Amino acid sequence: MSEAAQLAVNGLMSGSLLMLPAIGFSLIYGVLRFPNFAVASIATIGGFSAYVANVFFHWPLPVSIAFAFLIAGSIGVGSDFLLLRPLRKAGIVAAAIGSLALNIFLENVVRFSFGNDLRGLNVPIMRDVVVLGLHVGRQQVFNVAWAATAAIILFLLLKNSRIGKQMRAVADNPMLARIQRIDALQVGNITTFIAMGLAGIGGALLALDTSVDPLLGFRILLPLFAACVIGGIGSFPGAVVGAAIIGIGEEMAAVLWSPAYRTGVGFIAIVITLMIRPSGIFSRQ
Amino acid sequence: MLVDRRQAISSLAALFAAALPRASLAQSSTIELGALVPLTGSGGSYGPSMAESIKWVLQNVNDAGGINGRKLNLTVEDDQTNPDSGVRAARKLIDVNKVVAIMATWASSVTTAVAPLCWESHTFLTTDSGADSITQLPHQGYLIRTEPTTTLIMTKIGNFLADIGVKKAFLISAQTPFAAPAKAVLGKVLASRGGTLLGQVVYDRDKTSFRSEIDLAMKDKPDLIFLDGYTPDVTILLGDLFRAGYDGKKIARGYAVNEKLLSSLPPNVTEGVFTVVPSPEVGSATYKSLAQHLNVTEVDPYTCEAFDQANLVCLALQKATQPTGTGIRDAIHAVSDPGGTVVYGAVDGIKALRSGTRKIKYSGVSGPCIFNQIGDIVDVKARFEQVHNGKPTLFKIT
Repeated sequence: MSEAAQLAVNGLMSGSLLMLPAIGFSLIYGVLRFPNFAVASIATIGGFSAYVANVFFHWPLPVSIAFAFLIAGSIGVGSDFLLLRPLRKAGIVAAAIGSLALNIFLENVVRFSFGNDLRGLNVPIMRDVVVLGLHVGRQQVFNVAWAATAAIILFLLLKNSRIGKQMRAVADNPMLARIQRIDALQVGNITTFIAMGLAGIGGALLALDTSVDPLLGFRILLPLFAACVIGGIGSFPGAVVGAAIIGIGEEMAAVLWSPAYRTGVGFIAIVITLMIRPSGIFSRQ
Repeated sequence: MLVDRRQAISSLAALFAAALPRASLAQSSTIELGALVPLTGSGGSYGPSMAESIKWVLQNVNDAGGINGRKLNLTVEDDQTNPDSGVRAARKLIDVNKVVAIMATWASSVTTAVAPLCWESHTFLTTDSGADSITQLPHQGYLIRTEPTTTLIMTKIGNFLADIGVKKAFLISAQTPFAAPAKAVLGKVLASRGGTLLGQVVYDRDKTSFRSEIDLAMKDKPDLIFLDGYTPDVTILLGDLFRAGYDGKKIARGYAVNEKLLSSLPPNVTEGVFTVVPSPEVGSATYKSLAQHLNVTEVDPYTCEAFDQANLVCLALQKATQPTGTGIRDAIHAVSDPGGTVVYGAVDGIKALRSGTRKIKYSGVSGPCIFNQIGDIVDVKARFEQVHNGKPTLFKIT
């Protein structure tokens, strides 16, 4: 029992790192209506931005994470303007394939700029704390707090601010939003900036938890996509719950099967969701 | 001046016809060799120096007149430490570059994928990979390796662990072809020395955290945990072990706990970690000249192996009746014969062969380079180091 509880805690911790890129992916899908797989390489860019800020500029962690948000958001908007926006006119498939190509391109830009080596941020590796017999990493608690704070701010922004309402309006009915004179282009840019910024924070938190290398984003691409499919692509709470389910599922697989089959959890979750509830747990259909 | 379509086409055809014999002539005058090394991916820190050591050997042989007057031409490809990319690159080397030998594959998964392409196309393959299963493939002699087999190195490790008083060990392995034989051999050796291998957990290298694997490993309180993975995953594992409060002994492969890992983790996390690598012949003059050429103080064992493979292939080409993969296969044991005249480099060996020496023994910088009939080296020295204050220090050579 305690083993299962420990696995659940470990899963929640790793799920929290998936959560922000998954929210970013869902947000873009909800508003711009296409799956932007470049979110993975943008998470890598976020990780490297935090590394540069922390190690080269010696900025404190909160500033480094904010820097990761700004750089990732800016590159997300820039790449969307140059490549994905023209492709969106050709349809969802062209845009999705374009985003995969963009993902590979950005990953290799990072590889060319920083090399393949692992890089770690200047943070002390601290011993776990033990609560009710369960080990919890201090850095992980810090990461969960960061992820939760970012998610709550986004939630409040979507719920209460003018731009949040405009984003929801475009997501609900783009045509009606246009009639209401909502600038879809501006809303799209802001959505991309926020979504990619969140992915960047996710990458920075992953870098804090372990280390950063050019494949950081690629490693989380399948789990984050699975998290969005389970929760319902385009749904904010769906991305949060989906990330938790995938995180726990992957850790539980270590006990039920072999940890070597962890990747299968994402695939199986996608298959089961598509068979039982194709639009995901939090879909409106 | 206007040129009509017919004139343009006939001019192009003439140009092509004129260029073709020269191209064919250029190709036939050189002997094509390939290096399939990991320039990127988890082996990316070794590939560049492996390729450079091979280039240097071939350059020396070419400067000394080549193989029977024919120059050697090297094509280097990146396997990205990935079997899919490795197969694509090997196909290119075999089908486009027409190489007679592919040298220095590194990851066992890459070598396992590439080996059938080589023996089917009669291309000779030399490798740094250690999984036992590789030389058990039906390779018809088209494969040798300078890396000790999993059985050989794990026996050394098992005995070393028993020597330092380990009674209960746990193995955390990356998903590789050597994960299963590593468990079998280590368990057997420890049992024969009064110890126990408590268990093994095989992990997926793409995970970002290995907390659950660590929890499983620590459940039965082992006094040593063996982290049998590569640099990116061992970096995370060492951090997670420290966080989880594990204070027992740790051991990992030297290729995983390298300079990059040690610079990316705080010294208190890596303190006391044992590492093991096949030990190069660090006292030899050839080792020193290789280090000087590469501008390093210590040459990693995989670069030493790549260097030896290039020397062996050159010697076998000189000895062979035909400069082909089959020719290398038939001659390779004659240039690594324990009873032959000892040489320390391809240039000296080629001179000896030209002067009529029938059998030679190439003595390498990675080890003695004596192969059995299935292409495995028969013995190796293992170098054990221990990390103190973020620096590896020699502990023992066995």
